[in-house]
Amino acid sequence: MEMESLPNGDSTSAAAAASVPTSKLSHLAESLKLEHQFLRVPLEHLKKSMRANHRIVEKEMSAVISGVAEAADRDMSKEEAVQHLSCLVSRLQGLKRKSEEGSKTEHLQAQRCRARLDHLDGVDIDNQSEWNNMRVKRILVDYMLRLSYYDSAVKLAESSNIQDLVDIDVFLEAKKVIDALQNKEVAPALAWCAENKSRLKKSKSKFEFQLRLQEFIELVRADNNLRAITYARKYLATWGATHMKELQRVMATLAFKSNTECATYKVLFEAKQWDYLVEQFKQEFCRLYGMTLEPLLNIYLQAGLSALKTPFCYEEDCTKEDPLSQEHFRKLASPLPFSKQHHSKLVCYISKELMDFDNPPLVLPNGYVYSTKALEEMAKKNDGKITCPRTGFICNFSELVKAFIS
Amino acid sequence: MDVSAVESILARGENLRKKEKNQKRAGSFGFGTICYSNCIRANWLTPIGSESGLPNQIPEMELSSIKDAFDRVSKKQKLSSSKTQEVIDQVGREIEQTLEKLQSSQDAASGVDQKAFLTELKSKINEIGPINQLEGSQKELNVGLSKYTKLLEKSFISDISKAYRNVEFDIHTVNQIVATHFYRQGLFDLGDCFINEAHEPEGTILKSSFLEMYRILEAVKSRNLEPALAWVAANRDQLLQNGSNLELKLHRLQFVEILQKRGRNDALKYARAYLPPFASGHMDDIQKLMACLLWVGRLDCSPYAEILSPSHWEKLAEELTRQFCSLLGQSYESPLSIAIAAGVQGLPTLLKLANVMAAKQQEWQAMKQLPVPLDLGREFQFHSIFVCPVSRDQATDENPPMLMPCSHVLCKQSIVKLSKSSTRTFKCPYCPLEATVAQCRQLYF
Repeated sequence: MEMESLPNGDSTSAAAAASVPTSKLSHLAESLKLEHQFLRVPLEHLKKSMRANHRIVEKEMSAVISGVAEAADRDMSKEEAVQHLSCLVSRLQGLKRKSEEGSKTEHLQAQRCRARLDHLDGVDIDNQSEWNNMRVKRILVDYMLRLSYYDSAVKLAESSNIQDLVDIDVFLEAKKVIDALQNKEVAPALAWCAENKSRLKKSKSKFEFQLRLQEFIELVRADNNLRAITYARKYLATWGATHMKELQRVMATLAFKSNTECATYKVLFEAKQWDYLVEQFKQEFCRLYGMTLEPLLNIYLQAGLSALKTPFCYEEDCTKEDPLSQEHFRKLASPLPFSKQHHSKLVCYISKELMDFDNPPLVLPNGYVYSTKALEEMAKKNDGKITCPRTGFICNFSELVKAFIS
Repeated sequence: MDVSAVESILARGENLRKKEKNQKRAGSFGFGTICYSNCIRANWLTPIGSESGLPNQIPEMELSSIKDAFDRVSKKQKLSSSKTQEVIDQVGREIEQTLEKLQSSQDAASGVDQKAFLTELKSKINEIGPINQLEGSQKELNVGLSKYTKLLEKSFISDISKAYRNVEFDIHTVNQIVATHFYRQGLFDLGDCFINEAHEPEGTILKSSFLEMYRILEAVKSRNLEPALAWVAANRDQLLQNGSNLELKLHRLQFVEILQKRGRNDALKYARAYLPPFASGHMDDIQKLMACLLWVGRLDCSPYAEILSPSHWEKLAEELTRQFCSLLGQSYESPLSIAIAAGVQGLPTLLKLANVMAAKQQEWQAMKQLPVPLDLGREFQFHSIFVCPVSRDQATDENPPMLMPCSHVLCKQSIVKLSKSSTRTFKCPYCPLEATVAQCRQLYF
């Protein structure tokens, strides 16, 4: 049987066939645009070191300058003056060492920023599958770091040699604070707030206030009321202008005490408040570094499952190759919307190949449809006989008719 | 409100409308702040995906210019560092010089000299202005940094979580998926470590199966086919049901191995023992193998040299993996990798959509079906989806695809409509032929 060119799959499918490489390229270009966090996080890390180093230098230098002024203005004995100046010299030497170290760190961090740019630049159609594997690993490391599975994260990063492409050291900074909060200690979290004061202020964060509230609650719990009041005057009062309601609520615990049954106040004494603080911290932390608040894995999985979700995924004969044939994936996808198609996309049951202009669909007398290539191959092997794999129906290749799908 | 204020607001509105028009003309959604509520429908008709000829609309990402911008930053950072060092040195030198002067001045010298030295030092350091110098270089660095940060924001999508739905994403389910992913990649240590840290003991269900798979594959790598043959023998029926002739392929490789290493007699013995069951279906394969007996020792220059190709081993390992996973009820590729890859392809369109629908959060969260197609590559096409070219509906069991006598295909409902509820003949919308409902038959893709 001779294949004539089919009017099937009119201009659109012909165009689609021709534009495969362009669509692949555009997919690639579009996917790179999703990598903002990949470049942003190491940059924020670098900026942070720069700021810290600069602050140290500035502080020490000011101290030295005022030290010199002091020597000039005060009457000193010669010995005193010599000692004073030598002290300043060694202080400067110390500063120089520190600044050298700082500059080394900055240099390493800058290299990391650069390595990531190179990594994005290094992808092309030929090495894409390897690159995609790497991306899956990056996404998984991000997931594990956010959920505090540090050992696993480090293991995956080291075994795949992608330390420069993931943010382990950034998250180790968070780990200290999280561990402390889980032990009901706020000091490291407060120190972190102080370190990032101006930026937290800019984003109108009230995390520090929440930490202070918790410390106050702990004082009330310990029946240390006087100290609690002093504490409130010192640390809570400043937030009154913007967060009066919360402030009042917490202050009322002085009257209700920790054994209260009043629901409004009882909840403030519950242990889960600390978990809540951990969650709050994680969010503040992510925001500060320009990360998404959700793990990348969740974002990509949600998008992917929605894109893959069709009513057919939930049928019994769903192919195993579809992630949505698996119970776990179905569960995740259940609250997500189905995907939408504007054009028919037909997959041959036998060969799993797309039935398109190059491999058009043929209809058996029983109405079942398979791809031309698959049926031709079957006919060649079986003397022109076709057996429908789903019904067992047998017919001749010559009985098949075309179906025009537009 | 006075008249001029009203005028300026109106003028702004006019500008917005103009902008909107321009964007519509360009056929793109744009990321503007304009409310698109009125034109969402219209825009959905011009798809966002590749069909709109997207490639030329994507501003080519200028990674090289981003790199250049970063290199400028890192150059400034180096300059700033060396400037800092220089300033520290300068100040240090001045103090040291004064110190020397102080020490070398004779005891006889009065306190006046000492005072003069110190005042001189103070004014010298003031002259250097170390703080100003430090700030100057830092400022320059900051300018470069903020430029680079802005460039990143402009070139990339700065928040990819905008399309995220706040639905429950069960953490245990995700963890079990991740653990299974590690095991199926053969990363058993990592999988165990993960299970431990995540306290997810149920994630190990498939571990032993994948351990067995990797044990078999490792053996194949070192050209030991025994474990593979044992596994195939134990699962013969299911493999046949899958239409796989993996067993024959294994025996063929084993036969060639024996022929190469142990010679003709052993190979013949092996063939007699294991090949006869395949005679009915695969006679030509067996004939070829038997012919190889004639070329023993110089198989590489025989007509059957191809049989020695190492690619057979690679293909075998792949097929083995495929069949092993299939019998486990698993896919060949990691489902996690597939779902992520689909997400990467679908997300850009979803983000554009989320932007357009930013004002309609509720509708966004509640939708049962996405309003636009996400353009995925064909590797993600697992199901046949027929879309009626007339009604644009996706076919379902109630509304199945029907083949007309002219070989065009429409959905049942469209055909019923065209035939005025099956009462008369109708013309195919795509060709001049006429048909009746009775002539149409249901298709199964």
